[in-house]
Amino acid sequence: MPIDQARLHRALNPSSVAVVGDKGPQYQWLSNQKDFTGELYSVQLDEKEIPGIEEKGITNYKSLKDIPGEIDLVICAVPRQVTPFVVGDAIEKGVGGISMFTSGFAETREPEGIELQAKLVQMCTDAGMPLVGPNCMGVYNRKLGVKFGQGLEHGDGGDISVISQSGTHGIGMTNGAQSVGIKVTRTISFGNGVILNESDYLEYLMNDPETPAIAMYLEGTRDGRRFFNTLREAAKRKPVIVWKGGRSTAGSRAVNSHTGSLASSQSVWDAMLKQTGAIAVGSIEEAIDAMAALVHTNKPTGRDIALIAMTGGQSVAITDQFERFGFNVPELSQSSYDRFAEFFMTVGGSYRNPFDAASTIRSEAENLQKILEILADEPIITGGVALEFRSRGYDKPEDLDEILDLLDDYRTKVNQPVVLVMPTHGVMTGDVEEAASVRDRCAERGFPVYPTFERGAQGLSRVVSYHAG
Amino acid sequence: MNDVIAAARARGRSQLTEVEAGQLLSAAGVPVAETRLATTADEAVAAAEALGFPLVMKVVSPDIAHKSDIGGVVVGVKDADEVRATFDQINAAVSSAAPNATVDGIAVQAMAPPGTEVIVGATTDPQFGPVMMFGLGGVFVEVMKDVAFRIVPLEERDAKQLVREIKGFPLLEGARGTEPADLDALESLILKVSEVVDANPEIAELDLNPIFASPNGAMAADAHIVLAEA
Repeated sequence: MPIDQARLHRALNPSSVAVVGDKGPQYQWLSNQKDFTGELYSVQLDEKEIPGIEEKGITNYKSLKDIPGEIDLVICAVPRQVTPFVVGDAIEKGVGGISMFTSGFAETREPEGIELQAKLVQMCTDAGMPLVGPNCMGVYNRKLGVKFGQGLEHGDGGDISVISQSGTHGIGMTNGAQSVGIKVTRTISFGNGVILNESDYLEYLMNDPETPAIAMYLEGTRDGRRFFNTLREAAKRKPVIVWKGGRSTAGSRAVNSHTGSLASSQSVWDAMLKQTGAIAVGSIEEAIDAMAALVHTNKPTGRDIALIAMTGGQSVAITDQFERFGFNVPELSQSSYDRFAEFFMTVGGSYRNPFDAASTIRSEAENLQKILEILADEPIITGGVALEFRSRGYDKPEDLDEILDLLDDYRTKVNQPVVLVMPTHGVMTGDVEEAASVRDRCAERGFPVYPTFERGAQGLSRVVSYHAG
Repeated sequence: MNDVIAAARARGRSQLTEVEAGQLLSAAGVPVAETRLATTADEAVAAAEALGFPLVMKVVSPDIAHKSDIGGVVVGVKDADEVRATFDQINAAVSSAAPNATVDGIAVQAMAPPGTEVIVGATTDPQFGPVMMFGLGGVFVEVMKDVAFRIVPLEERDAKQLVREIKGFPLLEGARGTEPADLDALESLILKVSEVVDANPEIAELDLNPIFASPNGAMAADAHIVLAEA
């Protein structure tokens, strides 16, 4: 029986959750659900574990079938040999779906695990039961507070959703997105992906009105054709970032032609991603950098950019990197130069684009405001502004906000991006703590912030390419 | 179209001869230099006169992969006398270099208009199925591996991007004093090959190498098709 997307929707957006087999002293799965907005139950047979569960104010049952009322999502954390009984009860109970943290299946490549997995697949297939996993972290839902770890946000809104074959990278991409001010609508870590695979989740998310964009981590695909078609459709509807891990060596191909000898699995994967219009990235940093540019800019398409650095050396470095990733750093019009000449400190500074601006901007926001006003009037600039941003010297938080207000006004007025780069070794770099607090504030205010010019240029470039087509 | 494939299968072959591959592709609208098979010198002269000079003559044999290496290809054949002489010359070369090869005959082929050499190919990827390749011919594909891929079927946009993705693309735009190639014709050829591959799952691999991309169009001068295992 194919899995009904409506039933998957029920499992991913539960009003009731039952955690089966959680253990003390942490009771991590029950603890993870402390913000959950619906009904939370526990199922545990082990008498030693039950008092700890009840102490948390959670009602424990001996079986899923004993729970009164419906269960939308079962989180299964029992030892692997018990999983067929849990799945059997879940089917009998008619739950929405199962998220299976339990591992030790086909991924072990041992007969026992393979056999056990085949049994679960048979049961879930016959029953049309959406099974997330096994061997996965499962489901995070920001709005409902369903979580697979500590430190995940709970609240309204959402900028992007994450699908990951790997639990670690699912957590990493979710936390990484949060750390740059991005709200993750939902994350699905799907592990072995035996009942529902990458294409099923992609199809769900491309139709999900709460998911404006998608980021994926994949090591392979079970059905290349279907994945290609689904990804192409998804990328037409919303941006999809794909981080493909591992060198592909799937299967062997016959080689009796020139073409056959040149088509490596990797080159075909790369071509496939390009062809679908997805944003292909090669690491978690690149994934998060692309997310930041995607979420914190307004569909940029221009590549003629203004670059503002603190010093002469940095104005060269920032230009090198933005040009390397396909941006142009054009000279500005004479009328703009005339206006700059009225206030810009040209001793130890320059306003030709790139800007060498530390002595002009220093601590008065007023000069930055003038620069941004002139740039807003400059028709040659289509790609907004990237700035080397100081991460120290703010006497009070309002000083930083005043500058961010100016940048916000600029980007709203011209509908172009503002990218902030806070280099670790810049002349205006604060100590670790100060720099982190400045960076967090900028991210919170919806600016893409990068630790190097290179990453800022690459992140923005990928998003411009996506929108410019 | 599948008649050609069925006939080759019936003879127990897993590859099409150049003439068969040319027939299959021409029937689908892929521009391939017109080729006729001759089994006697008289047939060769008749074919040559129908096609016009100059010509290329090549041995047609399912057993010979690298025809030029053994003297199985002669280009620039200018008149009927040369056709007769070339016919005998190729047969002699083949019988001395590959005495046990089955020889179907000699292909007489119109010369494609000169242009930049490119390669268009297809193969079957174990994960994604039929895939197409594009690149510049000769040293660019052999040494630099300057090629790009797309999954079949290609859309118009895919063909456009495929052609522009290779590093050597400026050569097709007319760098180094050559006239710019007709890119629309090249893209249309690629899309037609994509249709053929998509419609014939029996085609496991395909090379059109070389194709001459000129200001007036694009035409394949050699076609190689490998069938999927039956």
